[in-house]
This record gives sequence, structure tokens and C-alpha cells, in this order.
Amino acid sequence: MNTSKWLADRQLNFLVAVNLLVVIVATALSHGQFVDIDNLQSMGSQLPELGLLALGIMLSMVSGNGGIDLSGVALANLSGMVAAQLLPMLVSADNSPSLYTAVFCAITVALGAAGGLMNGVIIARLKLTPILCTLGTSLLFTGIAVVLSNGASVRVEYVDALSNIGNGTFLQVPISLWIFVATVLLLGWVLKRTPFGLRLYLMGTNPKAAFYAGIPRDRMLILTYGMCGVLASLAGLISATHTSSAKWDYGNSYLLIAILIAVMGGVNPAGGYGRIVCVFLAATVLQFLSSLFNLLGVSQFFGDCAWGFLLLASLALAGGERVRAIFGLGGAAPISKVPKPPAA
Amino acid sequence: MKLSRIAIALTAVTLAAGAIAVAQAATDETIVTVVKVTGINWFNRMDDGVKEFAKSNPGVNAYQTGPGRADAAQQLKIIEDLIAKKVTAIAVVPYDPPTLEPALKKAMDRGIKVVTHEADNEKNTMVDIEAFDNTAYGAGLNERLAKCMGDQGKWAVLVGSLGSRSQVQWADGGIGNAKQKYPKMDLVEPKLETNNDGERAYQVAKEVLRKHPDLTGFQGSSSLDVIGIGRAVEEAGKVGKICVYGTGLPTEAGKFLESGAINGIAFWDPKLAGIAMNKVAKMLIDGKTVENGADLGIVGYNKVTVSKGPGKGIIVRGAGWVDVDKTNYKQYPF
Repeated sequence: MNTSKWLADRQLNFLVAVNLLVVIVATALSHGQFVDIDNLQSMGSQLPELGLLALGIMLSMVSGNGGIDLSGVALANLSGMVAAQLLPMLVSADNSPSLYTAVFCAITVALGAAGGLMNGVIIARLKLTPILCTLGTSLLFTGIAVVLSNGASVRVEYVDALSNIGNGTFLQVPISLWIFVATVLLLGWVLKRTPFGLRLYLMGTNPKAAFYAGIPRDRMLILTYGMCGVLASLAGLISATHTSSAKWDYGNSYLLIAILIAVMGGVNPAGGYGRIVCVFLAATVLQFLSSLFNLLGVSQFFGDCAWGFLLLASLALAGGERVRAIFGLGGAAPISKVPKPPAA
Repeated sequence: MKLSRIAIALTAVTLAAGAIAVAQAATDETIVTVVKVTGINWFNRMDDGVKEFAKSNPGVNAYQTGPGRADAAQQLKIIEDLIAKKVTAIAVVPYDPPTLEPALKKAMDRGIKVVTHEADNEKNTMVDIEAFDNTAYGAGLNERLAKCMGDQGKWAVLVGSLGSRSQVQWADGGIGNAKQKYPKMDLVEPKLETNNDGERAYQVAKEVLRKHPDLTGFQGSSSLDVIGIGRAVEEAGKVGKICVYGTGLPTEAGKFLESGAINGIAFWDPKLAGIAMNKVAKMLIDGKTVENGADLGIVGYNKVTVSKGPGKGIIVRGAGWVDVDKTNYKQYPF
């Protein structure tokens, strides 16, 4: 218990230190432009899409048994696109803008939940490996989006309230960032304080023990992937309102970056471990770096290089145990990291 | 006491740094060209143009950037960072024009000049630059073909895909030109589809040659059309007897240009488009605008056509294609 706490803190310490370091260096290099309100807002509005997708990856990884959700980006695009196409038939944007906005959000999130639950059912009931199932559904979602739109981007009708979700600010903070932070807090609470969270970590750590402890595996999996779907659709909602459009291949490079964020945030791909605050900090450091390189006019390829370096550094600092876990060696290792249920 | 002194010193330093930063921002004109994706030949060639512009305009800080992966989302992020950076002008080749509408609107609201390229459906832009008018381009190719054919004989037109708006416009431009000027030219196969595939183009060309043994001209549209036609002509042993013209890339078509199976190709040079975008951006910064018939001082943009765009902006069309044959294709390394 003590060692596990210390290890977890080490990851957190590393991420906090890197965040601070990047901010300080960036401020110095950009003559203060980096902490300019415009740049902070710009970074804040860029963060949520990727951050939400990374949370989905984290959840699926924590559930164990090789869990991963590869369909996030595809589902995000599809849900935004269906809402954009369906809505003009149901509600008039000019007559009732607030109803329009509400229904748009509802359709998007409902579709996300449906897609996620579908993943969950396939994985839990048909016993398909998560990586294969979500790869399949990802192609399915993309395919439907291509057919629905003929491959072109679908315009989202402009309504002030709707556009504000992706472009507006509240108290100088982008609304999309508020949504992201609220999601992080809520999900953090669910994982830490509710029976669901405890069961999820236990199931990810040792499925057999979880089974004998009477944890309903199927229901847990379906619920978890359903949540992944909702997270993806929130990302889709933000990107659709942010760009006033939805396209099947928007964010096609996001999937790998989201996985990178999750792993850099210390999530154990073998299941059973992952702190939400670490994932949040991993997402912010990537955003800081990419914005810094754009401010300085440095090539994007250098950005990729820096991310790779950071990932290696975080692995090195996290110690051999996690590296072994990532490469699937020493299966016993994660067990030492179980947040034990409080002794009754 | 000591603490307050340090605080005062720190404040002074911060203010000074801020003042310097503001002063720098005020004097430096920055024009950033954002391309669809970096690291491919086409946009490396455009980068040459941006660098050339930067060299000849020492007062302007002009450079090119773009996402490392072809993704509309990544391009959008770059543009948002540039808006926050408060650059003077953004010249962008949109990956997907609708995706950028809100971001470019935001840029213009903040006083940043916006120039686009290959995006005649972009609403939020001040000037969209198109290398040429598609109909005129097709007619230009046809003009060369007619000259080679001696203004007479049977000819055929191939297109990569009937769904491609620009390719069909090129083909129609050529067909219209021949109909109007060369009544002795006999169009036997109008717009045969090749699926943007060199192999398919070769099959189609072979069939056409079998059906019309006395055919003397081909006009291709997709850059792969001429490659397929060239192969078929070589195989039929008719090099020099059949005139072949079409869109093509010098590196791909070079072999057939050498053998004479392809007489000439045309394309547009991204380097010139890069210079044109930056020049127009500079004009906008200086408070000028592009007039109909203006001379941008770039080959192919000597007498531009200005029309109204879909939004408040204008579309500037050059005649910026490059005609290339055996003698000069080596000058274009892409």
C-alpha cells in the first residue's frame, strides 16, 4: 500500500513538474505571450476534444482484459453528424434556438451512449476482444458517417447558444473547458467514491478474483463502454459546435494521441490502475507543448519528437514495474497497486 | 522592505518585457502560410515560394507551417494558435474549407488578414486565390493538342472521375474550345472515365485505339490519365503519330515525355501559388486590394480575374498553369 502510493505520487510529481517547467520555459521563450489571455483561452478551447477522448481510453484500459476503446473518434464524428443532419427536420433553428441547442446536445449524447453500449454488449456478451470489437465498430461508425454525408462535411446550422458550446467563454474560461473540467471532476468522483469505481479497479486488476467476489462482469463492461461512448460524444459535441461542421475524418490523428495521453498519464494498459488527475495533467502538457511550438513557429514534427521523449521520460521515471506491465511481462506486478477496499 | 524592493524590481522587469513584446508585435509583420500537411513534395515546393517571398521582403516575417498528419483538426489547432499569437496575416490552404469557417471568422474579427487558396467555397476569407479558371485551363490544353494535330482528326477525352468538379470543367473547357475553333477536329469519345487509376486509363486508351485506329489525339484530365495513355500509345507503336496532352506531374510523366509518347503536360506550380498568397496578404496589410486585371508580378498571375466569392471576400483567378514538354520538364522537381 505504501509503495503503491509512493509510485503513484511519483507519476503525479513528474507530470506536475513537467507542466510547470513547460509553462515557465514557454513564457520566457515567447516573451510572455504564452500566458497572454488570448493564448490561454485558445489552449483551453483546444484541450477538451482530446482530453475527453483520452478519458474514454483511460476508462476502457482500467477495465482490464486488454480493454481499449478505438472507436472514440469515429463515434464522436458520427454522433455530431447525425445530430446536425437530423435536427433541422425536428426543430427550427430560427424559431426556438434554445430548444434547438438542447435537442442537439441530447441527440449527440444519446447516440454516443448507444454506440458505447453496443461496444459493451459485443465485448461482454459475445466475448470479443475489446481491440477487435472497437476496431470493427470504429470502421462501422466511420462508414455510416461517410454514407450519410457522401464524404463531404456536414454544416451545423448556426445558433448562438450552440456555437457558444465550442467557441464561447464563461468568466473568461472557454465553455468547452468548463465541460471538460466538470467531466473530469464527476468521473474522478465516480471512480474514487462509488462502488462502481471500486469494482472497476478490482475487475481490471484481477478478473478472476472479481468474479468470485460477485462483481457482475457483463454489466460492468457494458456500463464502462457506455460511459466511453458518452465521453466520445461530448468530444463530438464540442468539435461539431467548435467548427460548425461535422466530417467523417475530422480528428483522424486523435486516436493515437489520446492513447499516448492515457499512457503518459500513468494508466496501466493491462488494467486496474489509472489516476484521472494524471491523465488531465498529461493532456495539458501536450497542449502546452504543441501551442508553444506553434507560437515559436517550430516544425510540428519536432513536436511529435518532444512528445515521444516525454513519454519515454515518464516511463523511465515510473520505474520498471510499469514498463514491464506495458509490455505484458510480469503479470503479477499490477496487483501491488490495487487501491484496497477499506477494511470493513 | 527588501521584499517590496524585489517586488518592485520584478514588476519593472515584467513590464519592460511586456513592453518589448508589444513593441516587437507592433513592428513585425508576420504572414504565416498554413498548408494541408507538411513533408510532401507539393507543399515543400510551396515552401520554396514562401521562402522566396520572405527573402525579397525583408520587413516581413513570412514562413510556412502545417500539420504533420493530414487532419483537419490538426490544421484547425494551428490556426487557433496563430490567432492567439496575433500574427498579421494567415494564408491557408484549407484541408476542409467548412471546418475552418468559425476559426477564420474569429481571425478576421480580430483584425488578422485572411487569404485562402483552392477554397472557392470558403465564406470567411478576404481573398481566395485560384491558380486558374478551370475552363480556360482545359481550353489551353486543347489549344496545344490542336496545334499538334494540325487542327484536324479524331480525338478523345479522358477524365479521372465524372464526380470531380474540376476535372469535368477541364474536359468541358477543352471540348468547348475545339467545337468553337476547330470544326475539322472530330471528337469521337467524350469524357471516358478512368477512375483516377493509371492502369484503368491504360485499358481505356487501348480500347479507344482498337475502336478508332485512325485516332490522332488524346486529352487527359487526371494526372494519371496521360501515364496510361502514354503506355498504350507506346505499346501500339504509334509514338509520334498520336498527340497526347493532359494534366500531369513532371516526375511521373518524365519517362513518357522523353520517349515522345506524351507530347506535353500542364499543371500548376505550388511555388507560384505560395508567392501569390503572400503577396496578396501583404497587399491587404498595406490596405490595398486586388483589382480586376491587376498584375501580381508572378508568372501566371500577370492579369488576374476578380470575382465575388461566396462570402464577403473575393476570388482572384490567375492563369497560373505551367505548360511543360520534353525540353523543360526537368526544371520542376515534383
